[in-house]
Amino acid sequence: MLSVLLQIGWKKLWTLFFISVISFGVIRLAPGEPSQIDPLNPRFTPEVLERYRKAFDLDKPLYEQYRLFYWKLFTGELRSFKDSQPVLPKLVERMWNSLPLFIVGTILVWCYAFPLGVASAVRRNSFFDKITTVIVFALISVPGFYLAYLLIIFVVQTFHVDVIGLRTFGREGIGGFLNLMDRTWHVVLPSVLGATAGIAILSRYVRSQMLEVINSDYVRTARAKGLDEDTVLYKHALRNGLLPFVTMIALLIPGLVGGSVIIETIFAWPGIGRLGYEAILSRDYPIVISLNFFAATLTLLGTLLSDLLYMVVDPRIRLEKAE
Amino acid sequence: MASQGVTETQLPKEHLSPSRLAWRAFLRNRTAVAGMLACAVFFLVAVLGLVVTKGDNPVLDPRQVRLADKFRPPLSSPNREAVPAEDLPRLGIYLLGTDDLGRDVFARMLEGAFVSFSVGFVAVGIAVAIGIILGGIAGYYGRVRIGVGALRLMSVDTLITGLIDVFLSFPSFFLILTVVAVLKPSIWNIMIVIGLTSWTGTARFVRAEILALREQDFIQAAHALGVSGPRVILRHLIPNAMAPVLVSATLGIAGAILTESALSFLGFGVPPPDATWGNILSDGKNFLFDASWLTIIPGTAILIVVLGFYIFGEGLREAFNPKLRQQV
Amino acid sequence: MRVKQTLILAPTLVSLFLLQSYFWVPTFEDQVKGDPGRLIRYIETSIGDASILNPTLAADSASAAINGLVFDGLIDRDLDLSFRGRLAESWDIFEEAYLVVDETQRLPDGSAVTADRLVRHLERARAAGNPALRLVEKIEIVPGGSRVEQIEVAAPGGTPSKPHKRKVQVTVHQPPRLKFTQREVDQDFFIKLNRLLGGYADRIDPTRFVEAVEPVVTPEKAAALVPPTEHNPVVLFQLRKGVLFHDGHEFDSRDVQFTYEVITVPENLSPRVPDFEPVKAVKPLGRYTVKIIYKRLFEPGFQSWGMGILPEHLLNRQRLSEEAIRLGRDPNNFSVRDSGFNRAPIGTGPFRFSEWKTDQYIRLTRFEDYWEGAPNLHQYLFRIIPDPLTAELTFYAGTSDAYGAQPHQVERLKDDPRFQSFSRLGLGYSYIGYNMRRPIFQDVRVRRALGMAINIQEIIDYVLYGQAERTTGPYPKQTDFYNPAVKSFPYDPEGALRLLAEAGWTRNADGWLEKDGQPLAFTLITNAGNEIRKAVMVVAQNAWRRLGIKVETLSMEWAVFINERVDKGDFDALILGWAMGLDADLYQIFHSSQTGHFQLNFVGYKNPRSDALMVRIRQEYNHERQVAMARDLHRLIAQDQPYTFLFVRKSVMLLDRKVVRMVRDGDDTPRYLPIVPDKLGGITFHFNQWLKTAQPVLTAN
Repeated sequence: MLSVLLQIGWKKLWTLFFISVISFGVIRLAPGEPSQIDPLNPRFTPEVLERYRKAFDLDKPLYEQYRLFYWKLFTGELRSFKDSQPVLPKLVERMWNSLPLFIVGTILVWCYAFPLGVASAVRRNSFFDKITTVIVFALISVPGFYLAYLLIIFVVQTFHVDVIGLRTFGREGIGGFLNLMDRTWHVVLPSVLGATAGIAILSRYVRSQMLEVINSDYVRTARAKGLDEDTVLYKHALRNGLLPFVTMIALLIPGLVGGSVIIETIFAWPGIGRLGYEAILSRDYPIVISLNFFAATLTLLGTLLSDLLYMVVDPRIRLEKAE
Repeated sequence: MASQGVTETQLPKEHLSPSRLAWRAFLRNRTAVAGMLACAVFFLVAVLGLVVTKGDNPVLDPRQVRLADKFRPPLSSPNREAVPAEDLPRLGIYLLGTDDLGRDVFARMLEGAFVSFSVGFVAVGIAVAIGIILGGIAGYYGRVRIGVGALRLMSVDTLITGLIDVFLSFPSFFLILTVVAVLKPSIWNIMIVIGLTSWTGTARFVRAEILALREQDFIQAAHALGVSGPRVILRHLIPNAMAPVLVSATLGIAGAILTESALSFLGFGVPPPDATWGNILSDGKNFLFDASWLTIIPGTAILIVVLGFYIFGEGLREAFNPKLRQQV
Repeated sequence: MRVKQTLILAPTLVSLFLLQSYFWVPTFEDQVKGDPGRLIRYIETSIGDASILNPTLAADSASAAINGLVFDGLIDRDLDLSFRGRLAESWDIFEEAYLVVDETQRLPDGSAVTADRLVRHLERARAAGNPALRLVEKIEIVPGGSRVEQIEVAAPGGTPSKPHKRKVQVTVHQPPRLKFTQREVDQDFFIKLNRLLGGYADRIDPTRFVEAVEPVVTPEKAAALVPPTEHNPVVLFQLRKGVLFHDGHEFDSRDVQFTYEVITVPENLSPRVPDFEPVKAVKPLGRYTVKIIYKRLFEPGFQSWGMGILPEHLLNRQRLSEEAIRLGRDPNNFSVRDSGFNRAPIGTGPFRFSEWKTDQYIRLTRFEDYWEGAPNLHQYLFRIIPDPLTAELTFYAGTSDAYGAQPHQVERLKDDPRFQSFSRLGLGYSYIGYNMRRPIFQDVRVRRALGMAINIQEIIDYVLYGQAERTTGPYPKQTDFYNPAVKSFPYDPEGALRLLAEAGWTRNADGWLEKDGQPLAFTLITNAGNEIRKAVMVVAQNAWRRLGIKVETLSMEWAVFINERVDKGDFDALILGWAMGLDADLYQIFHSSQTGHFQLNFVGYKNPRSDALMVRIRQEYNHERQVAMARDLHRLIAQDQPYTFLFVRKSVMLLDRKVVRMVRDGDDTPRYLPIVPDKLGGITFHFNQWLKTAQPVLTAN
């Protein structure tokens, strides 16, 4: 058992190392001198160039640059090009802002994906199954921003109500309850939009998993024993078939950054995704690199967590890995 | 399940091959067939679009600006007084309306179809190629250990699965955005970057299939006959591992078209003059209140095509999965 | 079945909880729900964030919007665009002129020139009422002296565009000078004086006063070191007393001087340097008087004093050093640009800075001790929303109070009863510029014909939805300098063909225009990313093709366009626009001395008459005379057509109808007034009186 854990940990460490290298290397993809990375920018003055050189220690050898970059990042010395604030606290603050979106989005995904998936599986090939299949796929087939705009315009034009940002901007000094409701209202649209893809994908997983389980021997046995259909489906099939999904919680973490860029930009949501997009627009490389690195690291932690959960949930895995 | 598939191959000839079986199962799934048809139509439209909108004097000119006829709703006829006769649309009508510069949206959609289509196909082509090569190597040569000098650090399999893990860890859209922003958006950069970041699925499938297949008798037989490694991979292993690759490629095209439209929205999409459905859509959204068709037409077109690919892909997946197929 | 129930109940409950929150949020109609304070918070949205909150260093419009509220300038413009005192209570513009005493010459009466004799001679003429000395109030003698200076001279090697330079030390023997103090600035003073003195000034040889080891000093260099005559316009500002900075420190003349110094320090890289380069010195005379002396006649310099004034006591050398040490930086290498002040500014303006969340918002709070009385609004919130459509939607939802409508939206929004709209003609204009170094464009008839061939009105109607006006020349239409008598040429392709035929361009067998076997062909370029320019390009190309001109078009990225083509003069024709100021100075754009690489007269326009006018205009301090000359210049340029002047765009600003002005009458009862635009169409002139009401109080627009 311990050796398996060590093995997994060792592998993750290697992955982490490569992640850090790729994050750092990405912005060096630009051809030519990295200092001239953006000749298009008319404000690329000698001053900016100097700052760039300093931030990335361009005069040092490559491996030194790499080491110093991460050293500065973790000691809080690395500062954003844009406003000279330390990168780390900035990331943390934006992360907190994104968290409600992420949490509500996740709740929505789990609340809707399971009933949908189970219902489709139970009524396989029925009209309901077909229509949900199409709708669910339609949800992930619409370009996210298109759907977002249609939804926002519908709500704003019909109800004349604010949906942009963390809360009603300019509304201050309201009590705790109103504040909570205000924030809740503002979380609705972006989290629904953020959850569509999750609902679609997870409900498909649930459906196919359910299908496999429904046709498995033990469910047949249960049916044969004369148990009523609901008990068979919801007690026997669901519990056993869907246990592995517990581990998927951890796999949702990447959505925290990547999935939120567009939604957060449209909703002017001061979260991590918008921070990333704004950093890309203003060529704020310390932020861009750190964000890629942290997002990847988070995902890595997520997969580690899910591996561990899986081992707890399903003992067979343990044997396979140890093999 | 894979082994089950292979056993069937070795059954006497009068039995249907698994792919034939899968095909039959697929045809019975009418939603999936509809999806396939949507893809086929898209393909035809794209080819047609290439034919009628390219060249110096195309049949339908997507670049013809007619300022007097801007923001014409779909199915409106042109303003014959203000627009010079040689600039009038060939169809005599703006089938899908005009945009903010009076360009024919129908012609632009046709032109964009081909570009969007190529972005999807080339990106997925790159992804599949990388996926097959790395997956094939990991599956076949996985146990070979590599290292510096005598020091054997890790096996090939560890290296490649590690690489897959690394790529899976990055929030892929943000990574694509970063790279495209650094490299400057161009149609080639976008295809390559999407391709380079979405090969992991294919690689995993191919690896898994090959791991399962390589111990099979027919592969052992090939070895015994002295067939070389790469040849075994290419001639025997890959074709047998093709089904899941096909499925993930189908889904990949849908994903690439969506990714391109998202990049367009953020200003890092395929730059003009190439029209893609993505950039028609994101340009149109600025006029959502006054010319909603500029958004709704490309938005719906993307929806239908991507949906087609997804349903088609899902149908294939089910058809190729014997466990799910049996109950049909 | 518990599991089954949970599967149905959970999504229902979650959805219900989320949706019911709608009942607790404000709507456009009911913005004060739970928070009456919304009415005293004004919210504006911006696509981009501010960059640096320091009026001497900022160059972007977002920063300027904030700086305008946090800082006050010495002057600003009144509703009718005339100057109005802010931190300066009043000002006086006069002149100090200098004339070198050249003792080698003789006076008209035959006696040798000395300083005293010259003064006596002139005083006599003044007493006799000589018009040359009409404005002179005082004549004084400034004694001479010697000083050592370094000058740059050409060194061997180098190229014409990048000549090598070296420094040479010279001794300057400054002769005594006469100083004339004049009531008004008079650019012709020395011309008249010279006539009075029989060409005295022309005979002064400045090389005599400069001593160098080698014979390297040219007459031009010498004249720069010892100018025979010199105009020094002077502005004397009387400052307002008792004005406080937001930290309670009183504003005084030291702050004005300091602000000027910040701009002149090279490390600060101030974008305002060109505005203040003509300033020779800023001298405080007591706490409440500042004397600004200019090196030369430069009338447009005055308006630069509308720039916000910095607090000296927070940014002086000592404070900067302290800050540098606190941050662990080298105090000798720490400039105002590095200071934290730029993210938390302190000024004398009606609003004080309170908070800045990068890419989210900037919050300003009203300054209770503002010298003009505190504003009605308690807070000003500057919200950053990068997406234009989203910004528009916040306006409809009542979470922003103003919205700049796009041209195609104006029709739909301007009559919406929820909003009030203000149309405003811009200061900038768009044009097609012709490179007059190219032989085909040297003929004015060709340039005029090209302009006549384009249906500009169609562009305005269809591309800009009528949200633009035609313009005929280089000045903003709202200023007095614009000459309304200049008529725009008609859209007349036939006439254009005739003009071209006059110029020798005739149609060949294929219908293309040619002259001496050479086809009329050129390339029209513009920058990518500007849809309007792109549309103009297409229209122009089509129009010219119809005449039989082979026109290629090319749009390229901004940096390439500017650096490779415009700055190097490497183009045939281009589409571009100028953002103009309110002054009459066109020297940089149209003077023949400005045609070099990286200069702004990239079309190579040269006309001696225009040149002379441009020089005189920037030296003229009398508004009427300046206007007369500017109108002449406008007419000349319109005749010469170095550009086809296209249009000036209009913009429409929408405000929530509930935003009004509120003033208190004598008995303290509030009175509501409509918002009045200034002559430029700007609406924020009375911003300090603005307030929002819960329901609309004024009906008419």
